[in-house]
Amino acid sequence: MRPWLWIPLCIVALLVPVIVLAGGAGLGFDGVVRSIELRYNTRATRIPFMGLASLVAGTVTHGGVWGVHVAEFEQIPTPVDGQELDRIVTEKLGEGWQQMIRETSRTRREQTLIFSHPEGSRMGLFILDLEGHELDVVQVSVDPDHLNQSIAQYRHLHGDSHPRSD
Amino acid sequence: MKDRMFVLILAMAALALPAKSQSSSASPLTLPPAVEKELAAHASDVTEVTLNKSMLGFAAKFMNDNDKNEAAARQLIDGLDGIYVRDYEFDKPGEYSMDDIENLRKQFDTPEWQPMVRERDRKSGDTTDVLMKVVNGQSQGMFVLDAEPKELSIVLILGPIRMDQLGALKGLGGLGNLGNIPNGVTVKGKAKDNDK
Repeated sequence: MRPWLWIPLCIVALLVPVIVLAGGAGLGFDGVVRSIELRYNTRATRIPFMGLASLVAGTVTHGGVWGVHVAEFEQIPTPVDGQELDRIVTEKLGEGWQQMIRETSRTRREQTLIFSHPEGSRMGLFILDLEGHELDVVQVSVDPDHLNQSIAQYRHLHGDSHPRSD
Repeated sequence: MKDRMFVLILAMAALALPAKSQSSSASPLTLPPAVEKELAAHASDVTEVTLNKSMLGFAAKFMNDNDKNEAAARQLIDGLDGIYVRDYEFDKPGEYSMDDIENLRKQFDTPEWQPMVRERDRKSGDTTDVLMKVVNGQSQGMFVLDAEPKELSIVLILGPIRMDQLGALKGLGGLGNLGNIPNGVTVKGKAKDNDK
């Protein structure tokens, strides 16, 4: 094989995985929200200045909470097929997310899904809560150690430092 | 040599394809995924809890050591490898296959899984099985299968377990009934075997 042929071949070989992995565009929080919008023909209410709120939360909790995403659907047509919703979220969250909790009540028209994603010392959490026509979706990245420190401060401020006996 | 390198680079690129589609949510609960889906499809209420070691470690960090109950729960779950719960409630009896349940029981019919409780109520159709995984005389897991005509509960806990600590798990979703398992039952003791 001629030496000059190696350069384009290497580029192609390196680009294949990049293109394949990038093909998952629309994954993650936005992908889930978009898929729900399309499937149920509704629009999510985005919280204004969420990026700023996330930054403030991160600063106040000393990095305990980062990357807060919130979307709220107020008019989800019922009944919602719990299995289908579960499948949409599982598919659209992408690799690395593991389902921790799934609670579905067809009679009460409720569904709660909690997924986690280990990120080193942090843990990504994705929470979906459906109640009747309302559906809330939240994603957050939590550092338990830093968050615990922040919680302990407030606990101390509220005089809740004594052992609970319940 | 150059041709081999070429094949190697292409092979590495090709490896990225299946890696993308691999699922990472494998659960040691031995219910086949198709059976789980079938159960969930027929159930009116479904609770599924899948907590592996990293998730348990994460949960443990939020437990308050100053609280007696939370400290006990933390001590217990720190050593566990996983907690898996499946609970299905049905509107009417006969919504799940007893063959699936029997197959599930058979998978735990191995020397290391020792029966502690085996209860069969012919009148109501309720069955309860509690098995303890024993490795070198140490309890390394617990499996609970409670099948009622309109409800099916499966709990699998992997890792070192002490019966007297189980009540501490009451606060975790789907594990409320664990505190009701009698503390007096020992692994080496005679299994409680009721056939009403």
